[in-house]
Amino acid sequence: MPLAPMNESITLDQLTHDPYPIYRRLRAESPVTRVAAAGRTFLTKAHLTKAVKDDPVLFSSDDPNTPMKPAFRAHTLMRKDGTEHMAERKAIMPALSPKRIQADWDPLYESLADEYISRLPRGETVDLFTALCGPLAARILAHILGIPDATDEQMQRWSQRLIDGAGNYGWKAEPFAASESANDEMDALFDELRPVRAAENDGSAFSIMLNADDPIPMSQIYSNIKIAIGGGINEPRDALATAVYGLLDNPDQLAQVRAEDAWGKAFEEAIRWVAPIQISSRLVTEDTELGGFDIPKGDTVMTIQASACRDEELFENGEEFFVFRAKNPHQAFGNGPHHCAGAHVARRTVGKIILPLLFDRFPDMRMTHRDDVIWKGFAFRGPITLPVVLN
Amino acid sequence: MVKVTYVSHDGDKTTVDAEEGASVMHTAIANDVEGIVGECGGAMMCATCHCYVDDAWTAAVGVRHDEEGEMLEGASAEVTERSRLSCQIKLTPELDGLVVHLPEDQI
Repeated sequence: MPLAPMNESITLDQLTHDPYPIYRRLRAESPVTRVAAAGRTFLTKAHLTKAVKDDPVLFSSDDPNTPMKPAFRAHTLMRKDGTEHMAERKAIMPALSPKRIQADWDPLYESLADEYISRLPRGETVDLFTALCGPLAARILAHILGIPDATDEQMQRWSQRLIDGAGNYGWKAEPFAASESANDEMDALFDELRPVRAAENDGSAFSIMLNADDPIPMSQIYSNIKIAIGGGINEPRDALATAVYGLLDNPDQLAQVRAEDAWGKAFEEAIRWVAPIQISSRLVTEDTELGGFDIPKGDTVMTIQASACRDEELFENGEEFFVFRAKNPHQAFGNGPHHCAGAHVARRTVGKIILPLLFDRFPDMRMTHRDDVIWKGFAFRGPITLPVVLN
Repeated sequence: MVKVTYVSHDGDKTTVDAEEGASVMHTAIANDVEGIVGECGGAMMCATCHCYVDDAWTAAVGVRHDEEGEMLEGASAEVTERSRLSCQIKLTPELDGLVVHLPEDQI
């Protein structure tokens, strides 16, 4: 079999600005394509991305040379496989389990959402992205993790610096310097809080990991919290902003969502339409084939779940935001052993609590203009401004 | 081969031949049976392959383990004592003829 075709015209700038027309073309013409600018083999069809994610032996997450390592001061579970990955994942999962969320955290989520929504100024134009989506996601996460002492500003800044460092494939000095200073601040806070969290199990992730019968090493407890900070703010933030945009841009759907209390469906559709995490990478461990092309050992394939979520084979009019799809088998939370650990938290907080509360409090909320909303991102994507008039 | 019958929430029955050793979830996905999502691919990290084991088969299938029970708490539809994550039911010759019922929704 031949190698997959090489595309030398697609640029990272194009993908950052608006990847969707490119993905639509690739799905139709060339679902397995080596993209020179990214140095990766793009997989844009849903059956391909799922097959890769479901086979962690052939398609490994383990990348000992990832820039995530310096960025997080650790080799994190995101880049491990098998029992090593499972041990670290199981250590934090009790804090994110549906039972824990419903029993212990729901009232707190509700009061935090209420507090942050209540302080939005009425009768003014507000950028919801900066005034609500980011800070509320940061606050909820700080509590789940057991580090409520961190400010919203710190949480968001640390998260962004971890992400920038993790994506620093050019190994430039500046992003690592920024992630280093964020790591200094995080490590200092964790050191300070550790005795308190160890003394009593308060149900937070930090406390649960410290008090486990057979705890994972302290370095991995810290890196698990950092992974949650790096991976747990942008996603609910962007999911919320995308859902609000989709509903405000489609008043008929918003009316029906209200009437049927279908906020959960609206959340699922938002993350299908614009998946907050658009792509993932996997290292090929043996010569194999995908979609009729040879994929050599050592190649890195990029699963484009953003594209899988609009695959014509699964979704009618997938380019459109449409809450009331008969089926919505999206891949926004990924597949396989690395399936998003925060899926339950996100579904609960954004889908069941924040969206209904926001639209209940501001029933006539409207966008200034849909063109005022700027979208950005290749790896992570969502609106970076969301100006609305609140009344 | 082991036969498995999936009964949808509306009562539609789909019977498929499964490979021994495969899970009830994987068998559903491989045969395009609607009503099983299996978002995490069987890693027991989601609760989107929820099924109700038919009364006649609960003893043969056995009970769910603790971690499975915890994850089931996040299932979208009602959880009963017959609820299982179908990714955790491996098909053995003893389960030839197994019947599982599917919930109204998985997400």
